[in-house]
Amino acid sequence: MTLLLDVVTTAGVLFTVAMGLLVVFGVLKIINFAHGAFLTVGGYAALVTTKFGVSAWLAWPLAFASGGVLGVVVERLVVRPLYARPLDAILATWGLGIVISQVITLWFGREVQFAQSPLSGTVAILGDTYSLYRLTLLGVSVGLGLIFAGLIEGTRLGLAARAVIMNEDLARGLGIDTRRVRLLTFVIGCGLAALAGALITPLSSVDPNMGVPWLINAFMLVMVAGASFFSLALASLILGGAQVVVSTFVSPILGGMTIVLFAAVVLRLRPAGFGRD
Amino acid sequence: MVSSVMGAALLVATGPLILDTYSVSILVRAFLYALAALTVDVLWGYTGILTFGQAAYFGIGAYAAALIFTHVGFDWSTILLAAGLAIVAPALAGLVVGWLSFYPGSTPLYASVVSLAFPIVVTQMIFSGGTFSGSSSGLVGYEVFDLSIEAWFRIVGGVLLLAAGAAYMFVNSEMGRLLVAIRDNEMRCAYLGIDAPRVKILLTAALATIAGLAGFGYANFSGVVAPEIAGFVFGTELVIYVALGGRGTLVGPLAGTVLIDTASSYLSGDLPYVWQLIVGLVFIVVIVALPNGFTPLFSRLWRAIIGRRGRPRHLAVVLESPRMDAATTTATLEIVGVAKSFGSLKVLQDITLSVVDGELVSLVGPNGAGKTTLLRCISDGRERSSGTVRVNGEDIQGLPPNRVARLGLGRKFQTAAVFESLTVAECLRIAGVLRYRPSLTRPLHVLHLPEAARAVVETTGLVNVLSRQARLLPHGQKQALELAMVLALEPKIVLLDEPTAGLTSAERRRIGHILTELASRHRLAVILVEHDLDFVREISSRVVVLHQGRILLDGPVDEVVGSRLIRDIYAGSSHD
Amino acid sequence: MHRGLQIGTTAALFGFALAGAALAQNPIKIGIPVGLSGANSVVAPSVVQSAELAVEEINNAGGVLGRKLALEVADDGSGAAGAQKAFDSLIFQKKVDVLISMETSAARNAGLPIVQRGKTPFIYTSFYEGRSCNPYMYVNAWVPEQQVPPIVDQFMAANNAKSFFLIGSDYAFGRGMLQFTRAYIEKKGGKVVGEEYLPMEGTDWTSIISKLRASGADALITSTAGGAPNVTLTKQLRAAGVSMPYGNLAVDEGTAKSMGADATGIFISASYVTSIDTPANAKFMAAMKAKFGNDLKTPNDLSVPEYEAVYAYKAAVEKAGSTKADGVIKSLAEVAVDGPRGTIKMDKERHAPLTMYLGQVEADGSVKVIKGFKDVDPGEQCPNLK
Repeated sequence: MTLLLDVVTTAGVLFTVAMGLLVVFGVLKIINFAHGAFLTVGGYAALVTTKFGVSAWLAWPLAFASGGVLGVVVERLVVRPLYARPLDAILATWGLGIVISQVITLWFGREVQFAQSPLSGTVAILGDTYSLYRLTLLGVSVGLGLIFAGLIEGTRLGLAARAVIMNEDLARGLGIDTRRVRLLTFVIGCGLAALAGALITPLSSVDPNMGVPWLINAFMLVMVAGASFFSLALASLILGGAQVVVSTFVSPILGGMTIVLFAAVVLRLRPAGFGRD
Repeated sequence: MVSSVMGAALLVATGPLILDTYSVSILVRAFLYALAALTVDVLWGYTGILTFGQAAYFGIGAYAAALIFTHVGFDWSTILLAAGLAIVAPALAGLVVGWLSFYPGSTPLYASVVSLAFPIVVTQMIFSGGTFSGSSSGLVGYEVFDLSIEAWFRIVGGVLLLAAGAAYMFVNSEMGRLLVAIRDNEMRCAYLGIDAPRVKILLTAALATIAGLAGFGYANFSGVVAPEIAGFVFGTELVIYVALGGRGTLVGPLAGTVLIDTASSYLSGDLPYVWQLIVGLVFIVVIVALPNGFTPLFSRLWRAIIGRRGRPRHLAVVLESPRMDAATTTATLEIVGVAKSFGSLKVLQDITLSVVDGELVSLVGPNGAGKTTLLRCISDGRERSSGTVRVNGEDIQGLPPNRVARLGLGRKFQTAAVFESLTVAECLRIAGVLRYRPSLTRPLHVLHLPEAARAVVETTGLVNVLSRQARLLPHGQKQALELAMVLALEPKIVLLDEPTAGLTSAERRRIGHILTELASRHRLAVILVEHDLDFVREISSRVVVLHQGRILLDGPVDEVVGSRLIRDIYAGSSHD
Repeated sequence: MHRGLQIGTTAALFGFALAGAALAQNPIKIGIPVGLSGANSVVAPSVVQSAELAVEEINNAGGVLGRKLALEVADDGSGAAGAQKAFDSLIFQKKVDVLISMETSAARNAGLPIVQRGKTPFIYTSFYEGRSCNPYMYVNAWVPEQQVPPIVDQFMAANNAKSFFLIGSDYAFGRGMLQFTRAYIEKKGGKVVGEEYLPMEGTDWTSIISKLRASGADALITSTAGGAPNVTLTKQLRAAGVSMPYGNLAVDEGTAKSMGADATGIFISASYVTSIDTPANAKFMAAMKAKFGNDLKTPNDLSVPEYEAVYAYKAAVEKAGSTKADGVIKSLAEVAVDGPRGTIKMDKERHAPLTMYLGQVEADGSVKVIKGFKDVDPGEQCPNLK
């Protein structure tokens, strides 16, 4: 039972972290390798709320806002010139990640610091006790997934985004302001990344490089998932579950590379991954 | 080039005399990293494969040495064993990674993904090794060669120079040009019969070995190995050095690595974070605004100072003697019941036709009739949904384009697909690699061309611009170049997709003459897709009309071109 | 007139220059490679502060052999690769006279060959897994023989614990400590029902914690890298509701304080706690508060040995009469230092007998001392070193 909860909550965390990257990859067709740095920004936003003694719940909107604002600047300066060069976009955003983490280091110092969790303690569930915060995170990731799925399906921006995903030239030809769609999508993706960072810090710690390990796993999940939230959720569940199972029954170290290995093999056998062709 | 080699050799010889011990030891490490960066440049700068994974091979080589020296011992037999392992293990890993990354239909993004995943897997494996591999602590204190730092400097510096020299020779050789061709237009390579994935896999394995040897040197010099040297952060640093130095220049990555790594070692004590910040910023600027790095800037400056010095290469165009077996082999193309659908959309239905040598068949029909799709189904054995295609008697079922090309089929694309960065002569040389294996060491100096190709080259004036870069050619000459490349393949069947698009009337006449000669004199089977009905009428022996995915008419020129059905279709009047 | 002024000015300047040169005699450089980044970054600031206080006090009292002490700090990244760079830079570039520092075992092991090559004395001030021996190294912090028995004995006696679960960071320290712990538990008739490791940088203990809960162990003993891994593990343990007796072999008071409520109840065994009631400790605490005020990082078992080691070096240099390595190395075994932890002499095969305290963390982050053990012997650490 604990194993099942571990699997599901891990999948939830992975989904939350990867969502922002998926949004950007789906619409803009580029990989934002600064995603890890945005996670870090969100983590430090949570730290700031702890330092100021404000309620830890405020960390969430603060993180989303910080990520979004930074995203606007990044899109204009770094990402926009590179839409036609996706491999170079990976490199440039990786460089950006370095810059962001160094700025954070200069500002906050290099030590590992800790943010307060808004919730603590355990709860009795299904005959066992389990971490309340982890369960809450699961709920949050499901909620976020539903919100964004709703946004995509139900709003005009979502419709425009879907059009751009399917055929950008046609969308532009039909009068959709693809530039604005890209900008908004990128900003939302960065905001989501920062929010995810704030969500995960209570589980571990805050340091300038906390985003990097998450970046790789999120990247692999997005590659495997294709362009829909549903397939991302599926990928998070399956690959995240594999990670937990391997960590529990084999070794936590090998568990750490399960997602990466699994994803590479899946992509080799089925380039569309879990998505629809 | 010579001057930089002399300068580098001087530095290696005298360095230890003028620099202090600390600087010398920093430089030895930087040289080893530069060796790894060299492999990144050959892969990325020349072949277009963005790889973060070279660090993993470096780490494998280093750990091979450390593991053996720690657990087995240090004497001549173990040294040889470790060196051997440092060569074999990375090579094997490179083969596996290559196989995973490069296959017909793989994307550059996927290859980069794999190159990112690989060092992660390697570092995790090192972590999982517990006390055997040292895990997080790494391996320390194993016995190593008892050499002074100065001796190390000279040895490693010398090896680096040798490697740089070998790399220089390699990238300027015919094989090196082939790599650039693959980078510029892999599809064109496939249709010239080149197994690009195989080339990339072998290249990866070979370069993995070199990176592994650099790692071996590192383990011996520093006496410490830790998981970080196999990790993707280090792999990314190598890419950064190459990007800043200048991808595809060899000199740039070498200088970039040595300069940046040395500076980092000095500055990391005093202003570590600011320095990293600066490097990161410069990196972003370079990627966005200056993709070729700093070396091209410097070399332009250098040339401005010392005055341009062009060295035109002397090329001899050698005419190949006609093939002995020209009379016995005939060209045959049999297409039986071929259909192609995308989901429920039927693009081609029930296509059946045969073409033999000497025929010049024009494939006509309005846009969307399926003409290019048909060409694809003929040249790529995996493309069609059903039916059979036999090229020169062989069923092409499941064969990728390079295998079909080897059966004797050449395809010319609608938009001239040549190798933009190569010269005209190099393009033609690459086109002939099936017949003449490319040299690994010598640059292009003799060009063998079969008669048909040579005719095209001479009549279209390409013979006067053999040393010009293909991207600088005017449209008409590019088309001619591509045609010559296809003919250099010595195919028996040639597929041409709108060969006259964008040509002047003089050029059109020349091409028409060439095509007619191909069919009548060289006995090739020529199939072309064409919109220009006058051109069709002039040169074809036979016309096939395609409409809405089906063959409507198939017969001699006069019959078809004059027919009312054609007029109706093209004029758009109603049909049943 | 002009001539005279010229000569006079020149002479005066010359004189000043000479005098200046005499005054600005080159200082004795103490190199501190420490984990400013990485796992140890939580405790590194406190280590640096201890060193700064010691240097300031010594310089104000006239220095060592008439020369001032100066500090050179370098980041070793808490790991092997970074340590190599840090040690290289300190020994060969900055040319320090001695290295005095606390670092992870990974960093120490990587640095020792460089210490050997540079023939630089090295005082290692961190507790560690024992048996690290080098002709140039002395250790003034505890080893497992001194630290582990109090905790295991406590659990077996007071909590009736028979089965133990061990969790550690996968490197020399984690494995070495738990290896000793396992041997000691089994010698005392107990049983080890689980032993799990994560790499030093690992932060996700979920599956290990699940294994712990499934094992039915009576008590938990952990030995992670000092700093971040301690905190993440404890946080996740508490979040999962683990409340069994919990002995942490690698946590210090400062880290425990930053863990907040999660640290309550943890047992630690240390050679220093801030509540040690001696005049020397009181003087030390007061001086630290005076110097650093609000920026003070809690002195702890990883930082106080640093303070004492600087004084030990001073004593050794004065006894040897110079900073030359050979003399200093010999003298370090012969000098005794009175500090916050009492009188310490590194005369047992390069290690020191220490007074150990078994304590439990309170809700406010302070440590309540349960038992004290005077001058515990470090055992046979380096029998082959003369």
